Amino acid sequence: MTADPFKKALLRVLQYAMAIGLMVYSGFPIYYMMVSSVRPPQEFLKTNALIPTKISWDFYRTLTSRTDFVQQFMNSFIVAFGTVAITIVVSIVIAYIVARYKVRGKTIIVGLMLYAYMFPPLFLAIPLVSIFAQLGLTDTLVSVIVAHVTISLPLGVWFLWGFFKAMPFELEEAAMVDGCTRAAAFLRVVLPLSLPGIITVGTFSFLLSWSDYTFAVVLLSSDSVKTIPLGLASLLGTYDFRWGEVMAGATLVALPLFLLFTLFSRYFIAGMAAGALKG
Amino acid sequence: MTLDWRLRISLIAGLIVVAAFIVLPAIQAILLSFEGTDSFVVPATWVGLANFERVLVMPEFWRDLGTGLTYAIVTVCLQLVLGTIFALILNVPLKGQALFRGVAILPYVVPTVVVAISFQWMLDGNIGLITQIVRNLGLGRLIWSDDPWIALMTVTLISVWMWTPFVTTCVLAGLQTIPDNLYAAARVDGAGPWSRFWHVTFPGLRSVLIVVIIMRGIWMFNKFDIIWLMTRGGPLGATEHLPILSYSMAFRQYDIGGGAAVATLSFLILSAFVALFIHLFPLQEK
Repeated sequence: MTADPFKKALLRVLQYAMAIGLMVYSGFPIYYMMVSSVRPPQEFLKTNALIPTKISWDFYRTLTSRTDFVQQFMNSFIVAFGTVAITIVVSIVIAYIVARYKVRGKTIIVGLMLYAYMFPPLFLAIPLVSIFAQLGLTDTLVSVIVAHVTISLPLGVWFLWGFFKAMPFELEEAAMVDGCTRAAAFLRVVLPLSLPGIITVGTFSFLLSWSDYTFAVVLLSSDSVKTIPLGLASLLGTYDFRWGEVMAGATLVALPLFLLFTLFSRYFIAGMAAGALKG
Repeated sequence: MTLDWRLRISLIAGLIVVAAFIVLPAIQAILLSFEGTDSFVVPATWVGLANFERVLVMPEFWRDLGTGLTYAIVTVCLQLVLGTIFALILNVPLKGQALFRGVAILPYVVPTVVVAISFQWMLDGNIGLITQIVRNLGLGRLIWSDDPWIALMTVTLISVWMWTPFVTTCVLAGLQTIPDNLYAAARVDGAGPWSRFWHVTFPGLRSVLIVVIIMRGIWMFNKFDIIWLMTRGGPLGATEHLPILSYSMAFRQYDIGGGAAVATLSFLILSAFVALFIHLFPLQEK
């Protein structure tokens, strides 16, 4: 190894240059979307300036006043929270029992979860539309929640199963020796300790549900029940749309996820990595 | 421990949800592929293998299978190469590393619709940023959606931009599991940076990379929304793959049995590829 200080400094500069280059590559399209959304409407067609000189919220105002955007935003929140709640409860129950007790057909349950992972979205979307049509539930938010749970549940069970398996069993036994009932041991010991896993599953289910376009587009048709990705996509289809409003809408759709990511990035990264490391 | 009745009931309740939400739709999908109907409300008639026979002789089916495989293989390969490079960049201890890592993962968090719309804006035929740059470089007017090759390349590159962070994160986590003393030993043996990468880093990432290839392969083969939102499968079917074929048949032409047959076939093909891959690259080294 050469300890030449000039070479060392050059290497350092190169390392920073690559890291900054990567940041520009990853961040620029997002930055440009936001910059476009706050451009004053009268300047919109004239300039492509990358650094805004004047900030205007006009596009946000027209967007929220002239479309169903606010309603669709609420719809998306209802669907996402419904999906997160069902996914967390059901996957804790199944994953915990399968990880801790002798259950006949355990391999079938876990195998099914992995198999469900591979289902093409249309392989689920077509039958779901057919089932909901027969139940008279198409064009409702409930149908979308069910559809989102079909994809988030396998993820949740699979992830928490790995999580519970890795948790030492002695902790619960110790609590039970100390006089806790099995339920109390679960609530006071297991649940708090598995909070990171639960947050990870919750974050991913929220991301999945909030971003979903495929299931929403086949299940929903009325403007008032559309979720936000669908509403945004249909803005593009209308003949009098303007890019400014569309970019304002896109920014609003992305913001909750950026917030969630900033708050929970640790769990988020753990979840992504665990999926690959544990298999 | 054995199950008491309360746990048994909870498990059964959980499994009923799984059965209703996952197993039932899967069975219904397969049933639909054996039925002929042009409406989701009217009861269908059993047509046996007719849908499959019809789909398998459609030239579109084979063309779309080829397009889908090309798209999946190219996007996964590019994601692997870029993701590994990005992880190596982000693994170097630098000031502001948390920020670099955070922004590098950001594209994965953006909803597909937002990605599709933002890139369509940058590629807008008149005032889009990329269009103007191309024009200023003297390369003429770029109308990306009219040229089959450029359209396919565009959706490929955007997909790579969006899903590379998954690979980056997994490889970054994998890098932490490689013991430092292996690198020290390689240095002592006189190995340069390249040689250290090929003989220490790469083998250390083997199991991570295998799982990443399987997962990304499954997802990229099944991807529907980004392509549909960007091109609707056009121009002239150049970016149409099996998910889009299945969608158009079921929801545009109301050929529900045909759409279900395409979805079922594409699931079978994917299962075969995954099984073959796991057979060729077993997760545990022998």
